[in-house]
Amino acid sequence: VNDPAISVARANSESKPAEAAAASRGLDGLNLFVANIQTGFGPFISVYLTTQGWTQTAIGTALSLGTIAAMASQIPAGALVDAISSKAKVAVFSILAFSASALLLAIQPTALWVYMAELLHGFSSCTLGPAIAAMSLIAVGPAMLGLRLGRNARFASIGNGIGAALMGACGYYVSERAVFFLTAAVTLPAIASLVPLARLRDPIRPPKSGPSARAPISSLLTNRALVIFALCVALFTLGNSAMLPLAGNILTKEAGDFASLLIAGCIIVPQLVVAAISPTIGELTQRRGRRLVLVIGFCTLPIRGILFATLGNPGTLVLIQGLDGIAAACVGILVPLVASDIAGRSGRYNLSLGLIGLAIGVGATISTTLAGWIADAFGAPAAYVSLALVGLLAVLVAALAMPETRPLSEKPGS
Amino acid sequence: MSGSAAPSRQRRALAGALAALILALPGVAASHAIASTLVAQTTPAPSAGQPEAKPKPPEQTESKPPPSAEPVVASNAASVLGKKVVGPKGENLGLVVDVLVDQSGQPQAAVIDFGGFLGVGSRKTAIDWKLLDFSQLEHGETVELGLDRSQIEAAPEYKPGKPSPAVVTTPPAPDATQKNP
Repeated sequence: VNDPAISVARANSESKPAEAAAASRGLDGLNLFVANIQTGFGPFISVYLTTQGWTQTAIGTALSLGTIAAMASQIPAGALVDAISSKAKVAVFSILAFSASALLLAIQPTALWVYMAELLHGFSSCTLGPAIAAMSLIAVGPAMLGLRLGRNARFASIGNGIGAALMGACGYYVSERAVFFLTAAVTLPAIASLVPLARLRDPIRPPKSGPSARAPISSLLTNRALVIFALCVALFTLGNSAMLPLAGNILTKEAGDFASLLIAGCIIVPQLVVAAISPTIGELTQRRGRRLVLVIGFCTLPIRGILFATLGNPGTLVLIQGLDGIAAACVGILVPLVASDIAGRSGRYNLSLGLIGLAIGVGATISTTLAGWIADAFGAPAAYVSLALVGLLAVLVAALAMPETRPLSEKPGS
Repeated sequence: MSGSAAPSRQRRALAGALAALILALPGVAASHAIASTLVAQTTPAPSAGQPEAKPKPPEQTESKPPPSAEPVVASNAASVLGKKVVGPKGENLGLVVDVLVDQSGQPQAAVIDFGGFLGVGSRKTAIDWKLLDFSQLEHGETVELGLDRSQIEAAPEYKPGKPSPAVVTTPPAPDATQKNP
């Protein structure tokens, strides 16, 4: 087969084993540190702005601005990453934007600068995620991507777990502001991890062929597999993202002095599970196919919802959160993998990732509002059951409508 | 007050200059002092140490700057939004996120965001203003609350949209009082 992606991937990975090993370590570090950085930009921003005398309304405005920026830039950012052949360059600029954003928040938490920080972070998140996936694809080639993404997920979850512990301790013992200085500091090792990845070039863009090498954008939107995949991950996110905040809220109400520790457990336990199982999941995507893994991952959501709704014991909540780790590992690996199956060689890989990212963003935004509303009107168990039903719908769509996207050449024995 | 605004402003400026000369204070401090007496004239502040606003006729101000202006309003008042709330044992309970006032503007309750980890799972509760001790606000940057976690947890969650929010007053639940002597 005269596939430029595969031949370049071979050139990237096989001909120079030392370089391939270095690239692998670079990706490990990059995933670790980037996940670490992202922890600081989560819901913690609202705690920090509160300590700076911000009203809840103003905080809501700033965070919505970030969400809107992230959603609006998913597709343009994907197209931009497709157009730039050095994905490491994209990653450097994205990470620099993260440090600028963290420093703006730490140094000048007043409206204009916070808005700017949110916009910067929203946009650069949309370029960094696809750039990491694209570098992984270029470094190992499509045939080994499942394994590589399993490794990415492992390091990202370790980074998330360490980040949550580190940032939590920093906010508690030092100050809320220090969390953002720490976040800015962690961007340095993230950039250092990019050094061995700097040589990777997107094989899709040979200098002479130009933009004609790319598939038309309309071919993505009419691609049944991509549309169905985006739909079911959106449904999954709609059912999933409000689950943890809802459980945390109940822990705060019922778990007494240990509530904060238990919530920390609810955040860290799934990360441990992801770190433990994601290489196996990555292997499973290659041996048994993507659809099976997708269905397994999605199935944990309705189970988790029903368990949350029926078992009230705070300690059990933390254990049930382990199911979230299974889902997170499956979805985290499958999003870049299925996108690569569908569009990896069309020159529209990052645009496809942007499209899926947009679907996930929409699901996440609606999720919190919907669950909050149901919990207010009918109580938390009703909210859990509703989220579980949405999860069940995601399972059905994945099982009945999602085609297997694994390339034929990856089947065992070939 | 007699006369138009411009001459009285001149008079106050003169008083400010006099105050600066007499008390040998920097001009900024003097103008602050005057600003605080102006506040005392227009709005009755019950918390102010000197209830009598002496310099009502501006002529008196001209002759002698009021010594009662010494407790500057700004130093008696402190921002409360976003300050940490600590419990009886000094434990960190949460942050003040809003203040609920009645129709006359008197604070009735503070909305406090309790618990959570890195912003996940926190819960808002309205606490009776009388239960909060603000004496450490200026130096310790904290507000003290004589309730412990279990008492706050028993309270219903504060929802901004609701017309009459439930406010935690003294003992919210019988079992909570047993825990806290």
